[in-house]
Amino acid sequence: MTMPPETAPAGPDAPRDGNLPSAALILDEDWDASQPAGRWLRLRAWWPYYLMMAPGILYFVLFHYFPIYQARLAFQDFRIFDDNIWVGLKHFTTLFDSPAFFQVLGNTLIISAMKIVFVFPVPILVALLINEIRTTNLRRFIQSAIYLPHFLSWVVIAGIFIAALSPSDGVINEMRGWIGLNPVGFMTDSGSIRWVVVFSEIWRSAGWDSLLYFAAIMAIDPQLYDAAEMDGANRWQKIWYVTLPGIAPTIATLFILNVGMFMNAGFDQIFNLANDAIRDQIDIIDTYVYRIGLQSGQFSLATAAGLFKGVIGMILLLAAHTISKRLTGKGVW
Amino acid sequence: MRGHTQTRMERIEQAIIVSSLLFMVVVTVQPILHLLALSLSDPARVPGMSGLAIVPSGFSFDVWGLLINHPSVQRGLLNSILITTTGTLLNVTCTVLMAWALSRRRLPGRAIIFVFVLVTIVFEPGLIPDYFVARDLGLLNTYWSVILYKLVNAWYLIILIRFFEEVPDELIEAADLDGANAFQTLWRVVLPLARPAIATITLFYLVYHWNEFLRPMIYLTDPDMHPLQVVLRQFVIEGDKSTMVGIAAMTNYEGAGQISTRALNAGMIILTILPILAVYPLILRYFTKGVMSGALKG
Repeated sequence: MTMPPETAPAGPDAPRDGNLPSAALILDEDWDASQPAGRWLRLRAWWPYYLMMAPGILYFVLFHYFPIYQARLAFQDFRIFDDNIWVGLKHFTTLFDSPAFFQVLGNTLIISAMKIVFVFPVPILVALLINEIRTTNLRRFIQSAIYLPHFLSWVVIAGIFIAALSPSDGVINEMRGWIGLNPVGFMTDSGSIRWVVVFSEIWRSAGWDSLLYFAAIMAIDPQLYDAAEMDGANRWQKIWYVTLPGIAPTIATLFILNVGMFMNAGFDQIFNLANDAIRDQIDIIDTYVYRIGLQSGQFSLATAAGLFKGVIGMILLLAAHTISKRLTGKGVW
Repeated sequence: MRGHTQTRMERIEQAIIVSSLLFMVVVTVQPILHLLALSLSDPARVPGMSGLAIVPSGFSFDVWGLLINHPSVQRGLLNSILITTTGTLLNVTCTVLMAWALSRRRLPGRAIIFVFVLVTIVFEPGLIPDYFVARDLGLLNTYWSVILYKLVNAWYLIILIRFFEEVPDELIEAADLDGANAFQTLWRVVLPLARPAIATITLFYLVYHWNEFLRPMIYLTDPDMHPLQVVLRQFVIEGDKSTMVGIAAMTNYEGAGQISTRALNAGMIILTILPILAVYPLILRYFTKGVMSGALKG
């Protein structure tokens, strides 16, 4: 495609039948859009774009805004045949009076905190290590292998962990046997299940998440490394004085985003790793909503719990966005 | 290292770094290879197999034969393929169209629509309202309930808008002046330039649909409509093995009796992973490039 010499500001496909002003005129900054006729012409020139957005907008209205309206169920008693009746904050009172809710709230906070402490730093470390591999083919091989688990479903990953941690024929207990330790049913042991959650999260995401940090490392000016080398810096000094400061903004942004997502302790993961023996250790708000809502049919109470989580999550995410924007100039979106 | 010869200490450091990364590779890949080995082993030898084995003990297609001939697995496979292909096609079409419109900076109302989309990222009313929406729209127990769920992913939409915004204004304005309409400009000018980005979100959506298990589980009450992930969950997580072996015995599959659930589960997991493995080289090519060019945020 050849480029015409003139690049005057032009809009989309303005009608060319002479009855309407040209696209350039319609979209001119000086065009007075506040006048009814001007606004109408402006919108009219853009109609194909609104048409293209229509399916998407309809989707957001039906599947994201309609549910917000449906969430009114949290303030109602659910009835199958009659209209629901308004009961105010009754279900929230029930929720905040129930020990079960505080248990799942506690589990949500504990698991999220464990993930931030034990999972969050791992991809940073992995990226730093990968950056030390100078042989391109070896580096590509390692990266190709460790990114894979990110694309597996939690059903699959839970299946893999159940097999590997099996007390009878799992590889971990087999190796424990070599040094004379008794087999442990990690998936059904209250003491170990949260660590299974942490480790399976590392297994799934440490590789893929390292990609973001690695990309940040690649963006560091190579001259900084050359200068450090001239000054006689060794490997660790270069990591400490060049690489880490270089990726600090990325670390900060992702850390803040993680805190913003604190209420999302990982439904898919917990749902597939959970069983009756250890449910009290890892049942989080999301799985609680599923259980009391869709399994026990306490729709109003479950909606109230979900709404509580949604509101706290919203506050955290907005705070994270604001802080990130102020700190690094980059928001969450 | 660059420029100078390594000292003894540096060589030891390098060896430690390389081996810790290779250890990570082994921990990632070994469990998957082990399950593959289990599924291809002689059923009689499976009970004694070490968890470290990555080579089949003996060799047999019994497990795979049983799985492929299993009605639940067959239906699961077909349902997954149907939902994934239709869903991805609609996802990509709607996302591209909306992103293209929103990438035009002068579009009246653009800022309002942005906020309209961002609100849905920030506030999620939860699982139960979603369920009632699907019910009220009459979607329960139809494939549409899972195909239309997440039709336009707000994050992917934003990624694509950012990408479309990179297309030089001159090219778009030239097309506008040539009398191309909005669709023609998208098709002829923008899409060819955005091919890597489109490929990326196509793969994102593909992986999402293939891996989704919760919504099908909730929305599709008819087991015949369940995709493979739900069937896998039934066998492996909920441990519903009796149906599986029972049906196997009914179909008179040779040797079905001695196949252990351990080998069946292994085969089922590998079967569910296979399509992901098939597109994984493409994922590496496009996702990785996308992230490295800074076009993606996660």
